[in-house]
Formats: sequence, C-alpha cells, structure tokens
Amino acid sequence: MERRLQQIFFALSFLALALIIAAGWQADTPKWKDYQKNYHALEAQGEPNAVAKATVIATRPEVHQVMLTGLQRVDRCTTCHLGVEDPTMKDAPEPFTYHAGLGPHVPSKFGCTICHGGQGLATDKDNAHGNVQFWQTPLLPKEYIRASCGRCHKEGDVPGVPELTEGKRLFNTQGCRGCHKLNGVGGSIGPDLTEEGAQHRSPEWLAQHFLTPNAVSAGSAMPNFHFTKEQAKALTYYMLSLTSEDMGSYYSSERSIPGPEYGRQLFAEKNCISCHAIGGEGSKTGPDLLGVVKRHSPEWLDEQLVNPELVYPGSAMPAYDLDPNSRKALLAYMAVATPEDAHLLLANQSRTLKPEEIAIEAGKQDFARFGCVGCHGTELQGGVPNPNAQGGEVPSLLHLSDDYTKDEVVAVIKEGRMPPLDNPKGPTPPLYMPSWKNLLSREDINRIVDYLWSKQQQKKADNW
Amino acid sequence: MNIFQEIWKSIVRRDPLSTDKGKSELVFMNVWLHIHPAKVKKENMKFTHSFYLGFITFFLFIILVTTGIALMAYYRPYPPHAYQDMKDLQFVVFMGPFLRNMHRWAAHGMVICVFLHMCRVFYTGSYKKPRQFNWVIGVFLLLLTLGMSFTGYLMPWDQLAYWAITVGTNIGSYAPIVGGQLRELLLGGHTVGEAALLRFYVLHVALLPAVLILFTIVHFWRVRKDGGLSRPLWKLKKKTPPQLVTIGAPAEVAALQTVPASTTKTYGLMEVVTGKPIFETIAPEEADEEVFSYPYAFVREAVTLMATVTTIMTISLFFNAPLEELANPAKTPNPAKAPWYFLGLQELVSHSALLGGVVIPGLMVVALLLIPYIDRNPSRHLRDRKWALWIFTIFVVANLILIVIGTFFRGPGWALVPPWVHVTGGVE
Amino acid sequence: MNRRSFLSWGAVGVAALCSGVVVSLGAVLKFLTPTVFYEPPQAFKIGNPGDFPFGQPTFLVEEKIYVFRDRVKGFAVASAVCTHLGCTVAHFSSDDRFHCPCHGSVFGADGAVIHGPAPRALDWYEVTQTRDGQLRVDKDKIVPPTYRLMV
Repeated sequence: MERRLQQIFFALSFLALALIIAAGWQADTPKWKDYQKNYHALEAQGEPNAVAKATVIATRPEVHQVMLTGLQRVDRCTTCHLGVEDPTMKDAPEPFTYHAGLGPHVPSKFGCTICHGGQGLATDKDNAHGNVQFWQTPLLPKEYIRASCGRCHKEGDVPGVPELTEGKRLFNTQGCRGCHKLNGVGGSIGPDLTEEGAQHRSPEWLAQHFLTPNAVSAGSAMPNFHFTKEQAKALTYYMLSLTSEDMGSYYSSERSIPGPEYGRQLFAEKNCISCHAIGGEGSKTGPDLLGVVKRHSPEWLDEQLVNPELVYPGSAMPAYDLDPNSRKALLAYMAVATPEDAHLLLANQSRTLKPEEIAIEAGKQDFARFGCVGCHGTELQGGVPNPNAQGGEVPSLLHLSDDYTKDEVVAVIKEGRMPPLDNPKGPTPPLYMPSWKNLLSREDINRIVDYLWSKQQQKKADNW
Repeated sequence: MNIFQEIWKSIVRRDPLSTDKGKSELVFMNVWLHIHPAKVKKENMKFTHSFYLGFITFFLFIILVTTGIALMAYYRPYPPHAYQDMKDLQFVVFMGPFLRNMHRWAAHGMVICVFLHMCRVFYTGSYKKPRQFNWVIGVFLLLLTLGMSFTGYLMPWDQLAYWAITVGTNIGSYAPIVGGQLRELLLGGHTVGEAALLRFYVLHVALLPAVLILFTIVHFWRVRKDGGLSRPLWKLKKKTPPQLVTIGAPAEVAALQTVPASTTKTYGLMEVVTGKPIFETIAPEEADEEVFSYPYAFVREAVTLMATVTTIMTISLFFNAPLEELANPAKTPNPAKAPWYFLGLQELVSHSALLGGVVIPGLMVVALLLIPYIDRNPSRHLRDRKWALWIFTIFVVANLILIVIGTFFRGPGWALVPPWVHVTGGVE
Repeated sequence: MNRRSFLSWGAVGVAALCSGVVVSLGAVLKFLTPTVFYEPPQAFKIGNPGDFPFGQPTFLVEEKIYVFRDRVKGFAVASAVCTHLGCTVAHFSSDDRFHCPCHGSVFGADGAVIHGPAPRALDWYEVTQTRDGQLRVDKDKIVPPTYRLMV
C-alpha cells in the first residue's frame, strides 16, 4: 500500500508537469503568431536584399494594439490585420489587405471597432469578430458599416450616408418616441433606444423588425407602419448609430461646429419665422431676433433654446429638441441673419401664421415630436390594431370633443390610461396611453389639446 | 566536517530519517510539520473514514491563494478597468485564462468540499465531545468560505457578477432593522457600483483571507489538541478508553519507561523515543495500530495535494471560467440569479422575503452552530442517532433540491422551466 | 518490482516533481512579463519629413525626443532624457548644447557629456522611413551619434 501510494504520488507529479506544459504550450501558440509569420514572409518578398529579408522574417511576434484614450477603447485588430496602413499590401489576401479610402480616419487614430464593430481587445478571430456569446457588437455586415458614421457625426447630414438622414427624419416624424425613449425623451411601451447601436441585434433583425414587427418578435406591441424596404434600411442605419458612448472631444463632431448654413436650415425647418422676426421681417408674436446675440450671452441663449420656461416663466415658446451643436449652429445663424434673408425665408413659407394659430402649430409640433402620431396617426385617424382593446384599435382623436372636456383630455395625457377591454377576461392589450406628466410641461399639454380641438370634426348624425 | 555539511546541519538538526528518532524529530522540530502528531493512528487515516475532505479543502485554499496573488498583478478594482483586465487576462496575458480558470474552479471546489467535509463530520458524529468547539469554528470557516466566494464573484464586473451580487446582497437586506444598513455598509452605497467593487476587493484579498487563515490555524490546532482525527465508526465497538502513553527521555539519559495512562487526556505533548518502534512500547491492550506520521500520513497528504492540483489543472485546461458582457446596471438579465450556492436562499426568498431571506437562513446558521450543544447524545453509533441523522439529512437534501431548482429549473420571471426547454429571455 | 527499480522510479518521480516546480515558476514569471504596454509605444511614427524644419531641432514633448534635420546630413533623433537621473534636458540654440535642469549636466550638440554628473552621452535613436513615407523612431534601437537618415 505504502509503495503503491508513493508510485501514485510520482505518477501525479508527472501528470502535473504534463498539464503545466500543455497549458503553457496552449498559451504560447495563439493563431495570431501564425498570421504574423505569414505576413512577414509576404513583406520579405518585397524586400530587395537577403539581409533585409532575413530581418523582416525574424521580427519577433507581438500583440499590436492601438490605444484610443479618447474613445476609451483598445483595438488589437492590427495584430492580425497587419497591412491596413501599408499601401503596398493593396492586393494582399485577408487578413493583410490594405484599407483604402479612409481619408482622415486612420487606424492609428481611430482604431477599427468604432466603425466595424467587433471586439477590439480580442486576439483570436471568433472573439475579435464578436461572433461569440456575450459580445454585443459583432462585426457589422459590409452594407451596414456606414451606419457607424452616425456615432460621431451626430448632427446634420453625413456626406455619403443619406440613409442616416432619412432614418432620423422617419424616426422624428413617424412617432417612434410615443413608445420608445431616446436620450431620456419618449414613452415607455417599447424598449429604450438610447443604446440600440450597442445592443446585440443583427442589422437583418432590425430591418425585418421594421417591415413586420411580429415576424421577428412574437407578440410585439409594435404596430406595422408599412415601411418600404428602403425606409426600413434607413431606420436600421439610424438604430445602429444610436449610442450614448462618449466619443471624447477629438472624435466627436462637436469639434467641427456646424456653420450658419446648418443654422439657417434649422431656422426654416423649425418654422421659427412664424413667431419671430428678423429686423421686422416675420411674425411679431415673439421678440425680434435681429442682433439677439449681442443682447444676450451665448449661455443665456443656449438655455433659452433648451428650456424657454426656465428663462421666461410662462413663455409661449416650445422647448425644441435640439442637440448642443444644432443650438450652436442656430446661434451662429442668428449672428449673420439679415432682414433680406428673413424675407427670403418668408417667401418660401406657404403662409404666415396668425397669433392664435401659433399655439396650435406648436401643439402640432409637440404631437409629432413626442411620438403621439405613432399610434394616433399623423391625421389623428388612429386605427393602429390593439387586440382586445375596445374597438380593437387605437381610437381616432377626431371626435374627442363629443365625449370629453379639455380638462379630461389633459388628465388622460398627464396620467396615462389603460384602454377599456373588449373582453374583460382576455389578455391585456399591448398598447396603452403612457403617462406624460414627467416629460411634458403643462404648457406643452395645453398646446397639444388646443391642437386636438382645432381638428375636431362634427359627429355625423346618422352615426347611430 | 566541511562548511557545506555544517550549513546543512545548522538547518536540519534532526537525526536521519532511517531512525525512529529522526522520524519523530522531523515532525516536532519543524515549524511547518509540527501541527501533526509524531505518530498517527493508522485506522483514523483510512480514506473511507474522512475522504480527506479537510485536506482537499485546505489544498484548494492554497491553490486559491497562489493563483489569486498572481491574478492581482493584472487586476484593478475599478469598474471599467476591472472588466478590461479580465479581457486582457483572456486575450494577451500568458496563461492568463488558465490561472483564472484555476482560481474560479478551485473556488467552486472549495465551497463544495467545505460542505462535504461538514457532512462527513456530522455523519461520523465527530463533533461530539471533546470536539464541540471545533465544529463551531468549522461552521465559521464555512461562512467565511462562502464570503470569500461571494466577494470574489463580483471581481470580473460582468453581467453575471453584477446581478448575482445585486440579488445576493438584496437577500441580505431583508434582515429586520439592520438589513438595509448592513447592505449599505457592504456596498458603500445603495447600489452595486465603484464603491462596492472596491469594498468587495478589500474583503476578498485582505480581510476575509486573513480571518480565514486565523480560523484555519485554530481549526487545525484544535484537531490536534482534541486527539487527532476521530475514531472511524467501525472501530467504535471496542470499549477500551483511549490510553495516553508517555515515553521517557532517550536511552543514554534514562531508561525507557512507560508512564501510567491518564484517563482524562488522550495523549501527551510529544513523544521521545529510543531506537525501537514506538508502537511496540504501547501497552498490548491498546489495539490501535499507531504509525509514524512520516511517511505514513505525509505520503497520503502529498498524494491528496497532487490529486487536488492535477484535478483543478485538468478542469482548467478544458473548461473556461465564464465571462459575460460588461456589467450594465440598466439591463437586468431575466432571470437574474445569485451565485449557485445562494440559489436555495433565492428560491426561498421568491416565496417569502422575510421567511426565506432572514428567518430560515438565520435559523440554519444558529442551528448549525449549536448542533454539538443541542445533540447531547454521547454515542457516535449510527443506530443511536436516528433523529439527528434524519434531521441533518433533510436539511442537506432540502438545500440541494432548492439549489438544483434555482439553478436549472428557473427561467425568465423566475417561472418554473425545465432545463431542456429553451426560452428566450425578456420582452422585445 | 524490486527495491532497486522502485528507487529509480522514485528518482524519476522526484525529477518530475522538481521540474514541475521549476516549470511552474517559469510560467509564473512569463505570466508576470507584460505582453502589451499601456503606455506610449517604444516605436512610433512622428510624421512626414516635411513637418520638420531645417536647422534648429524640434522637441517632441510626449515622446521626449529632439528631431534634428540637416540639409546635407539628414535626420537624427536624440533622447531628451538625462543619463544621470532621468530629467528632461533642454536644448539651447544660444550655445547649441543640452542643459539638464536637475543637476546641471551639460551635453554637447553630439550628445557627449561636457559637464556635470551625467555618466554617459545622450542616446541617439534609430529613425527610418516607413512605406507610407512617414518617419518612424524606435527607442529600442540605440544608434551611434553619427547615424543619419537621408530622405
């Protein structure tokens, strides 16, 4: 027995030695070393003399990494993708191919994953390309890579990526915010989309989801908006660009503040001229904006655009949903705006608004901006299917005044409401009216109700 | 005598190991070995008596300390870095995955072995007089092991870690009056965040190991002072009380002399021998076959050590420690589960917060601590301890069932889902 | 198995155990050796040759190097780290020398010690041109002061 035990002990010592060697061998032979060897062989072909060839081939294998402090990332992609910055590797096979057409976006300053997705820290193919469990952003398919431009280029149009502009426009006009939050604003029926670009969702999934929500997510409350394929793709682009990741000052497009041209575009888009005048050209409802940048500090003006009621309690001006750069662009335009230009803007506008129409116009804007149109329709027609709610769909708002007073509607918007059930024993309807009291001010709600009332139609007598 | 011999002699002062005196001196003149007796009872060392679970637990702890210190070289206890360091260990550090795997699997192994060790001690009735207090220390060591494992669980700062600790610490907050404050004290805040990671790190690498080592020292010391390992159940039939045999000074000083056995103590402080094997000097009626710890006990310990190390290494070579996505406080996985050994508690909490989160675990710990003082039945024979065995078995089985249910049968929304049914979590 | 063969078995076993321990220690050492560095790399690109003026050297603060460009001789890169205790030396055009602010060491234009406690001359680093035309400095490659890169 004693002797047997000693033999077992020595046998186990051997086993331990073997295991350590096995573990060390496993750790010492990663695939990237082979890639580097092949790359150096490829490089050596281009070298003129034997000495240079030998030096290149003898290069010690090491992990290459690009430290991107501004982006809070470390990309090790160049450990295998060795030729991305070497033009002579234009025709080399992957993973050594040169990356043409990067412009200022050189890998040593931007890394790779910020555009392509994938896992920068990884040093083996599956993990690096992110096609593994527990990595949320795998490599984007080729046709969707340009969606990443929107991660840094948050404002205005991104040249060469019309899909982003279109996706953003659809998001803001189709009422997505009625159910989805984005950067803190929106309803709570659907998931928050602030980090949608960092979620583990394939672009194909998203595109399909926009075409037929129920096909990819059974029982989804999301109505079918009957988007076209192109619109679905544009929305997918926009979704993939959404992230609250801090891009740092170097990468964020805040570095390149949009000029007054973009400000003018916004000024026209947001219909500012229907309340404000510039040197007498325009509406007299709000203050004349000629020389406004000289009368107030930039901080004051910025705050006025973010939260008018904070600056002037009871202000009629709606709080526009403008990102910091758009606000800067607007102010830039204010500095150069002339009465002649305002005249031009007015000429392009179909008609000026009467003062009483202004509140209604603002209400209409809120109605679209906060996503009410998503369910109630751009013409208040309703009709989005909502199984087991009374009537089986989201009600039309065109006959509100028959059954409700303004105060009752204000209360419903504030507190939200579960629709009455068709069959009391049936399932809960997927859509309901969320409570908006934390997101909308009293003025906003009043304006929306005014807008609704302006659209009321007479009940038909033969409705019975 | 040359200088090298002199140096050697100054370090190793015992007689050659071929002599019994040498074998004996090897043990009691060596600070690391003298926790052993010079001689052990052969029957007590039988594998089928203790399964060496205490040793295995201790060796796992040694593995954990060594791998843990190595891992500390690459770990920063600060949220965004902590996770990145895990990725570095996985992708660029030489043998990083292997060491992390060893640390992870040894930790799970230690929790299991501590528990099995407790079961063994209970079923053999080894907590009975004079070993009551060592049982109490053992229960504390169990709690400390759970604490070590629980605090270590947060270190990777991935979704698994974050939510297991969130759920785990919330179970504790159900304790009346102090629960909430206790959680705040532990987390350094209201939620698991930067402060919590730092505190858990301090607990994991400094406070808890220090306390654990102190308790382990006491535990080992008491094993020795309580007369070594308990007698195996199959030796209990003999009614002869344990005999103490003290041997006189070496032959050249005085003649070998057997001192009359004391009836109150089980053995002496040390044994001094002359040339003859010590068990021949024991009274013939002492049936115990005693052997020198060297090599009898040591070779068994060494085999156990190597078996433990190679087992952990083999597992670590083939199975990777889990690492999920970066912790995201805004995205709760469905279901969020505590570490597996607390899933029994989570299961109970899902039925009743106060009862499952406070009353039952509290009573469980108190009951465990008091076992040797409640169970005053002096007999260690299985046939005399029907009640105790039944109650303890029910306790163990109930725990196991709850853990198995919590681990394998709970799906999204904590609904009962068999493990072979695939459910996609969450609502889109 | 007889006693003799057992003993030899034991010797092999002990050898395995010892080599296991040695290999483990080696593995731990290699584990501790950093494979990636979270610090500025030792070899880096400093820009196109045209970025550097002729005559006075250009000081790159983060890289702690002086880039010399001479119409005739070409490019050379000197370390700005004093060989005494690692302070950053400053180049003065008035006397064309490097002065260390900490203990008053003075180095000549070729980096040689002229005065002060510095034990040896300033290091000169290899500078090469990469395939995309940029200059690349490798701090791991020390070259003699006479080293020049012609572009």
